[in-house]
Amino acid sequence: MSAMNFWMKMLNIDRRWIFLAIAVVVIVPFFARMGLPLIPNREVRSIYDCIDSLGPRNALMIGWDFDPSTDAENQPMGIALLRHAFARHVPVFMTAYLPLGQGLANMALEQVSDTTVAGNFVIVPWDAWEPFRAQGAEGRDSLEAAWIAAGHRLPEGSRGWVFEGVDLAFLGYQPLFYLVILGMGNSIASQFPSDANGNPVAEMPIIQAHKNLRQVDLAVTLAGSSACVTWIVYGTAKVGLRVAFGVTAVMATDYYPYIQSGQIIGMMGGLRGAADYEVLETQGGYTSSTGRAYRGMDVQSLAHLAIILMVVLGNIAYFASGMRKKTALKAGR
Amino acid sequence: MYDLIGIWVAAILTLAIYSFLYKENPLYRLAEHLVVGTSLGYSIVMIWNQLLFPRLWQPLTHGQDWTLVIPALFGILYITRFYPRVAWLSRYPIAFLLGTGMGVGFPLDMQALVLRQIEATIIPIYAPGAPFDVSLGTVVIVLGTLAALIYFFFSKPHRGPFFGTGSKIGIWIIMIGFGATFGFTVMGRISLLIGRVQFLLGDWLHLLH
Repeated sequence: MSAMNFWMKMLNIDRRWIFLAIAVVVIVPFFARMGLPLIPNREVRSIYDCIDSLGPRNALMIGWDFDPSTDAENQPMGIALLRHAFARHVPVFMTAYLPLGQGLANMALEQVSDTTVAGNFVIVPWDAWEPFRAQGAEGRDSLEAAWIAAGHRLPEGSRGWVFEGVDLAFLGYQPLFYLVILGMGNSIASQFPSDANGNPVAEMPIIQAHKNLRQVDLAVTLAGSSACVTWIVYGTAKVGLRVAFGVTAVMATDYYPYIQSGQIIGMMGGLRGAADYEVLETQGGYTSSTGRAYRGMDVQSLAHLAIILMVVLGNIAYFASGMRKKTALKAGR
Repeated sequence: MYDLIGIWVAAILTLAIYSFLYKENPLYRLAEHLVVGTSLGYSIVMIWNQLLFPRLWQPLTHGQDWTLVIPALFGILYITRFYPRVAWLSRYPIAFLLGTGMGVGFPLDMQALVLRQIEATIIPIYAPGAPFDVSLGTVVIVLGTLAALIYFFFSKPHRGPFFGTGSKIGIWIIMIGFGATFGFTVMGRISLLIGRVQFLLGDWLHLLH
């Protein structure tokens, strides 16, 4: 077989061989952990630093503005943000732009509160601490003290308590979310009379301390579509809400201009963005080890190398097989 | 138990979807239709649970707020689209939604997506004391924006030192943008595959720790 024939065959290779090669490259590195170094980028660090400067008197809003199709990229971001906020006792509002987003937000909460995993949090449901509420223990510290005094103990390895209604309001989904953001500029409770679990939002201490978006310090939208822009248009432009993006890699380049214009304080782009955040959390001592996103980065790096190799081989084949001359002739050049 | 069933169903459907990479088959089509059907069903239940029941049905049936009858009837007019003789009635809720949407959204869209973006390109090219990389970035932003705009200016032939060179630089800037977007796209698609492989190897087969 001449060299030209070989390269022609390469150009006409059945694409299923390429799929198989990618599958091998993606599966094998999971069993040979390399731990390639990852240096968090500036856009992710600015989100981390912002949340790291918040405390129990501030509030963070996280929007699960994606559906299951981008779960692999967006969900690790949400989990990392929740862990960071809960560790610092920053009250968190959880919303969803899409109906399916609410289920994904619930799954993120389940993962963060899975007490079989070390470093997680125990979520105390709104109804569970009702007797303490009746006694007037609504401040976070007094509530936690009363809760522990009542004999409740953290499971081994758990990092802390998260009291629903104080540390967390799982607001969930509402349709026409752009109008919801607009309405939350005046009153969050008016847009969400009850939370995703049916609890009365207006009675929650978190809402009494943070009545509207003007009293929220940062909103992070985790999006797999242009839904994230809604937060800038109706949050930042209308009430001056500070916004950060957690978007899929495909969308990332579209939204860099918003960092440069100062409309968002930072951005997590794809799985890499989530891995960066996990690294920062581990460096900050909030988690003992990195999570799923970081683990995927070794695989990501090798898969990229494989794709670069294929692009190079494809180009060599294109020129070496004489294909360039043929296409040039067809094009009349 | 239910979690285990869920994981098995998810794993089988994942493999069914990926079977398309070999060739199209009935299993793939079944999984594809299931995605559409379950997503729609889930959304309907969510809208009923989160909106229609607590914010319309309950207040109406408990006599708390009879004014809700007006938006409810207005919304129901959408359904008239299915009946040709009265289909014209559906134009009113559509017109209302379009009108309010434009009225509310247009000024804010202009402010956030157009004016703020233009403002971000009107910056001093040289700021005394600024680090070199920041100054270089500023020059690239200003010249890149101008060059890309020149490329899209079609009322003059792209010849000569201003339009010719400007449009050539513009096409390079646009190509670099496309390249960056394509790179991120590859990264995104691989990330999605990684997510599924993590699920299959970890949650389903318990091969990852």
